[in-house]
Amino acid sequence: MQFDFSPVLERLPYLAAGAWLSLQIAFLAFSLGMVIGLAGASVRAYGPRWARALVGAYVVFFTNTPQLIQIFFIFFALPDAGILLSPYQAVLIGMTLNAGAYLAEIQRAGFESVRRPELEAAETLGFSRLQTIRYVILPHIIRVLFPPLSNQYILMTLGTSMAAVFGVEELTGRAYNINAETFRSIEVFSVAAVFYIVITLIATLSLAFIGKRFFRAKMRWF
Amino acid sequence: MKQLRNAARRDVLRAASAVTGSVLLGLSTLTSARTLDEVVASKKIVFGVNPTLPPLGIFNDKNEIDGFDVDVARRIGELLGVKTEIVQVGSPDRIPFVSSGKIDAVLGAMTITPERQKVIDFTVPVHTEVLGVLTTKAKPYKDWMELNDPSVKLVEVRGATPVKLVQEKLPKAQLLLLDNYPDAVRAIAQGRADAMIDVMDFMTEHTRKHKIDWRIVDAPIEVYFCAIGVQKGNDALRDKLNGAIKQLHANGYIDERWKKWFGGPMLHDPRTAPGYK
Repeated sequence: MQFDFSPVLERLPYLAAGAWLSLQIAFLAFSLGMVIGLAGASVRAYGPRWARALVGAYVVFFTNTPQLIQIFFIFFALPDAGILLSPYQAVLIGMTLNAGAYLAEIQRAGFESVRRPELEAAETLGFSRLQTIRYVILPHIIRVLFPPLSNQYILMTLGTSMAAVFGVEELTGRAYNINAETFRSIEVFSVAAVFYIVITLIATLSLAFIGKRFFRAKMRWF
Repeated sequence: MKQLRNAARRDVLRAASAVTGSVLLGLSTLTSARTLDEVVASKKIVFGVNPTLPPLGIFNDKNEIDGFDVDVARRIGELLGVKTEIVQVGSPDRIPFVSSGKIDAVLGAMTITPERQKVIDFTVPVHTEVLGVLTTKAKPYKDWMELNDPSVKLVEVRGATPVKLVQEKLPKAQLLLLDNYPDAVRAIAQGRADAMIDVMDFMTEHTRKHKIDWRIVDAPIEVYFCAIGVQKGNDALRDKLNGAIKQLHANGYIDERWKKWFGGPMLHDPRTAPGYK
């Protein structure tokens, strides 16, 4: 078998632009998912019973169905109800809702990890509610949460490859396109894999650095 | 611009076909095709049909080759007063099969092209295929060059041949690439895209699944005339087949079979071909 990387290397800038879009989708979906997750986790920890049940149902639905099927629904079924989203919007909304469910669970675990005696100690020392959050709860939560959040972020970066199915021209979509033009399957998908390794490695390393440096999180470099 | 659905497969098989082709072409100098007299005397005519081009040729639930081409082949056999035998051929090997005399004639989206005419002879056209623009009645397009506009959203199937045409001739249009025909056609039905360029004859089975006002732009981009191929110089057989095909056009059999298999009338009359008398 002979390999010829030149048709792929010629299209490297095209692939790189796709990788940039993958990064953007992952970052946006993760950030928006964090907001949903924080709201969901707060409701589950402190909300009224009916709201807790509602968030519980959301979490169960989105963590127990494949993400691809969730996006299929948004992309193919919603237009019949008159809601037409572009491929990019559909993928972003699908990934955000999915991330929101997982991140709600992760953050809830963080909330629950704050021990009652610590809160009582803060109260005894005369901390205000804001001071308690700032000096007791947040440092504790972030330290516990940082490693699983980083993992989730990496998983989401790789999960953006699903967008290709819906015609979004991110890294995998562009790799598909090049494959369809050149039939150099092994070459183009190996190069795409290298791109994924590079962008996830950069994310892993910088997250580990931030976690260790600022939050004293227990993280491994790899 | 032919056999779009098989574009990928065709290219993968190109190397293999080069080998088979040269072997079989080598044989063709040794083996002469059967003449009309020999076909009639043996009471059997052998047609090659490509079962990977539905609904021209497909495998039915009994795993037999079926489809529009098979119906036409069998009726031609009846007109010749002989039995029809169907042999499976593939896109790369079907021309070598004819030129080497392994089969008497070949059907299956055989577009008449100058390159092919150097190797085999063609009958009058059996059917046409129209490369055109699929859109809806809500859109105003009258000619495909109007699609070269930044406001136009085109959808195409990844890897299909029209993608290149779109990228070269309609660079200003937005292009959405999806993985298969049902998804691409649905994208237009749901309003995600405005139009699609492909061989229109093969779109009917997808468009009829959506209750919207489909429209094919009147001016075609290109019309392909598809005929039966026979070995070069096998003129008696070819003349006989020409007569049979013209008879099947005149009595409406081909039209009727086309409607049955494609779910709608043929888009372009094959009798408009140059040289059809």
